Amino acid sequence: MTTPHVLWLDDPAAAGNRVLGGKFGSLGEMTAAGFAVPPGFGITTAAYRDFLDGAGLAEEARALQARAAEAELPEVSALSAAFTAKLEAAPLPAGLEAAIRGSYAELERRSGVEAVPVAVRSSGEAEDLAGASFAGQYDTYLWVRGVGEVLRHVRRCWAGMFGTAVLTYRPDPGAPPPSDLGMCVGVQQMVDARTAGVMFTLDPVTGDRSKIVIEGVWGLGEGVVSGDLTPSRYVVDKVTFEILRREITPQDRQHRFDETTAAVGLVPVPAERRELSPLEDEHITQLAELAKKIERHRGAPQDIEWAVAENGDVHVLQVRPETVWSRRQADAPIAAPKSALDHVLARFAGTSIAAAKS
Amino acid sequence: MTATDSMIPAPAGFASPFDVQTPAGADGWQSLYPYYALLSDERRAQDEGKFWFFDGMHNPEPLFPFDTIMTENWWVAVSQMSTRVWPIPTALGIDHRIINGYLYISPNAVTDPEEIARRAVEFGKRAGHYYENWDEIYEQWVDKATDCISRLKAIRFAPLPDIEPESSVFGHRGVYSSYDLLTTYGELIHNLFEMGSYHFEMLNLGYGAYLTFREFCQQAFPGITDQTVASMVSGIDILLFRPDDEVRKLAQLAVDLGLTDAVLGSEDPDAVLRLIGEREGGARWLDAFEAAKDPWFWFSTGAGYTHTDRAWIDDLRLPFTALRGYVEALQRGEDIRRPLEAIVAERGRVTEEYRSLLPTDADRDAFDGLVELARKVFPFVENHNFYVEHWHHSLFWSKVRELGDVFVAAGFLADRDDIFYLHRNEIYSALYDLNIGWATGTEARGVTYWPPEVERRRRVRDALKRWSPPPALGTPPDVITEPLTVMLWGITQETVQEWLGAGDAASNELRGVAASPGKATGRARVITDPEQLHEIEQGDILVCRITAPSWAPVFARIGAAVSDVGGIMAHTAIVSREYGLPAVVGTGYATVTIRTGQLIEVDGSSGVVRILPEEAA
Repeated sequence: MTTPHVLWLDDPAAAGNRVLGGKFGSLGEMTAAGFAVPPGFGITTAAYRDFLDGAGLAEEARALQARAAEAELPEVSALSAAFTAKLEAAPLPAGLEAAIRGSYAELERRSGVEAVPVAVRSSGEAEDLAGASFAGQYDTYLWVRGVGEVLRHVRRCWAGMFGTAVLTYRPDPGAPPPSDLGMCVGVQQMVDARTAGVMFTLDPVTGDRSKIVIEGVWGLGEGVVSGDLTPSRYVVDKVTFEILRREITPQDRQHRFDETTAAVGLVPVPAERRELSPLEDEHITQLAELAKKIERHRGAPQDIEWAVAENGDVHVLQVRPETVWSRRQADAPIAAPKSALDHVLARFAGTSIAAAKS
Repeated sequence: MTATDSMIPAPAGFASPFDVQTPAGADGWQSLYPYYALLSDERRAQDEGKFWFFDGMHNPEPLFPFDTIMTENWWVAVSQMSTRVWPIPTALGIDHRIINGYLYISPNAVTDPEEIARRAVEFGKRAGHYYENWDEIYEQWVDKATDCISRLKAIRFAPLPDIEPESSVFGHRGVYSSYDLLTTYGELIHNLFEMGSYHFEMLNLGYGAYLTFREFCQQAFPGITDQTVASMVSGIDILLFRPDDEVRKLAQLAVDLGLTDAVLGSEDPDAVLRLIGEREGGARWLDAFEAAKDPWFWFSTGAGYTHTDRAWIDDLRLPFTALRGYVEALQRGEDIRRPLEAIVAERGRVTEEYRSLLPTDADRDAFDGLVELARKVFPFVENHNFYVEHWHHSLFWSKVRELGDVFVAAGFLADRDDIFYLHRNEIYSALYDLNIGWATGTEARGVTYWPPEVERRRRVRDALKRWSPPPALGTPPDVITEPLTVMLWGITQETVQEWLGAGDAASNELRGVAASPGKATGRARVITDPEQLHEIEQGDILVCRITAPSWAPVFARIGAAVSDVGGIMAHTAIVSREYGLPAVVGTGYATVTIRTGQLIEVDGSSGVVRILPEEAA
């Protein structure tokens, strides 16, 4: 059986399927596990490879990647610009285009919205592997409407594989360049978020696994991911779900769909919301419970993008393994191991139980 | 204690205890208290260099002269354990001074490393023996405590007879009622000191084991709340829940016997008891009620350390308020039994989950050992309160009132409660005075001496009551390590900083220990006397110096609780957990900053209390 060009998130074959790349494969898994993931489909790595082959660009792509590994930055930039221009102009295989059109029409039908707004985002084969964080290296386009725009942005995602940053990103000199790997493009219904953000199933600062740390902003979560807004921050105890800390940052601008420009941009936060916490306690608890379930389901610490819609529904937008602490042994909290009695006796003698922080 | 503690810069001092002014109308207050409890010029250099904090947790009010028996007891009983009995390597005793009638205390630390090492050797042997044989020693402790209580119960005071009974004569006793009065008084006082000594036999060690477990959790899971740590080790069948459980059972019995209309028929307990007595099946309920009362209604409405902390048995309104509430809940079809199995299961889940989140096997081993030890010591830590402060001390106060009647009969006092204006050593003199009058037939001097003196003392104490004691005086230490200071009073380096900062600016915000999570807004009800508890209206926010577990019935009516004093092991913490109300304790100044009727917001998760502007109402 040939690998499909399009695979829906709720297809039984989607969960963790490599042809959906890391991001979308994980979302397929989340969908299968019953988490509230917005509906969508992935244009698979097979579709990407067929496109490059069909356009006769596969060989040139490999040559470019090899060259980029050695060249100086100005040369890489020039090569990158020339190749992505070619790639964006190349025709799509007829079968692939029909499959994308059909799937988008199906999404319109399912949502009941004509020209349903979608997010178009790349989902690389390598990006979400534990141990390799590619956050920010790939492209995401929000509020894309109509199949023509969808097709254009799919191509832009593919072209993104050959951007300067990806071509030169080499955290581990021995590993193949990430641009060598396949790429899936996900097309997913937009959540018009009242509040959105990210959360971690451990404290990203200390590695403490008994905490869930939530960062959220009014509006879409792009501001948290890109770092251009300071999010409000909440720390929740993973065992008891007590909200241990709330750090509210007043916010006067938010990412929302802007009718006047017909695009997502920074717009004012309604005055009555600016000083308020973008999350009520009820949602903080709900998100923390969700994070704990996802971590349990996936068996390791995760970071999770989420959105709360205006109607209060909570959606999972992305999950990926946490990559910093998973690779490193957290500091043992105690000094030399001894019996409980000896710990207590030492405590009375003025010796703290804590391991000295060097 | 930990590296971080010592990095906090030592704050500038508080006011010198010698600069505290006597409030108007309280001149001569020193005469109410023993000489050794007062500041004195010849000890000025020593006393000014020490850090004195206000023990509002146990003694929110100016001390009655008699009630210093409790503070004087633990001045020795707590201190000797640390200094001489164990000895605790880093801590000596806790010193006391009475300033304007209020108790200020100051822990003494051991700082010389060689001295600490020497003490540590002894401590290891002695404390090790207690930890290793804990359950057996605790059993013996319960026997000693109940025996002490039964001897206290047997003590009787009666006015001296007009003529000595025949039995004294024909039994050839050779000693008479005057001698009995003196010796019985001696027994009463020594009985208190006996129980007072048992009180602290195991307590420091219990707290120490728990504190070590708590520090481990705070180190492994920074930010973990105190109530969560406590929930992993606290028992569910602890005696402090028993009085309330008994009321629940009586409510169920009232329903079963068809007595609900009688229970709900009046807010006056005596009227309810009369109504029930007239009903069929009423006798059975009254039997059950009498059985529950002793000992479970020897349940103080305060910390138990002062005679003004009346017990349920003295004032049945509190348990009857709870009884009505439970009967109404049963009528609505609610299950009022505590969900014990669910609580046990939750305790197991929470413990197991934290354990699984530890990074290494060595950490899990340490955690297991410390949980086990903390759970071993906790029954004593939680239950000693009932034996000592509630059962014994409530009974003790009732016996002192009985002696008050003897003085009333002899014309020394106008009211039995006036006895509390006499220091215990003065009572020994007064009893001898009374004996002289009885023996000689001359009117005792006390008849003319004590009534005006009691009136003077009452005026002085009332003047002291209007003074607000600052939370601390003197020079704070660089590091606070004394385990009881941290555990019982909740005083840490951060608290001291907070207190020092609080004096700087008029603020509408108070900070304290986050004792029970959640947020609530409501009208403040400032309670300075348990008598005022009956004024609390639905949804009020209780603002007090300290709460007591027996205030539980009002917890059903309030929206949140705020107290001036209290740490993680204060009596409040245990009951707050049970009632799930937002609470902030250890704010230092809530009762003087907040006024009844103000709109306030309590955030029990962050430990912040805000006075809200009226527009927000």
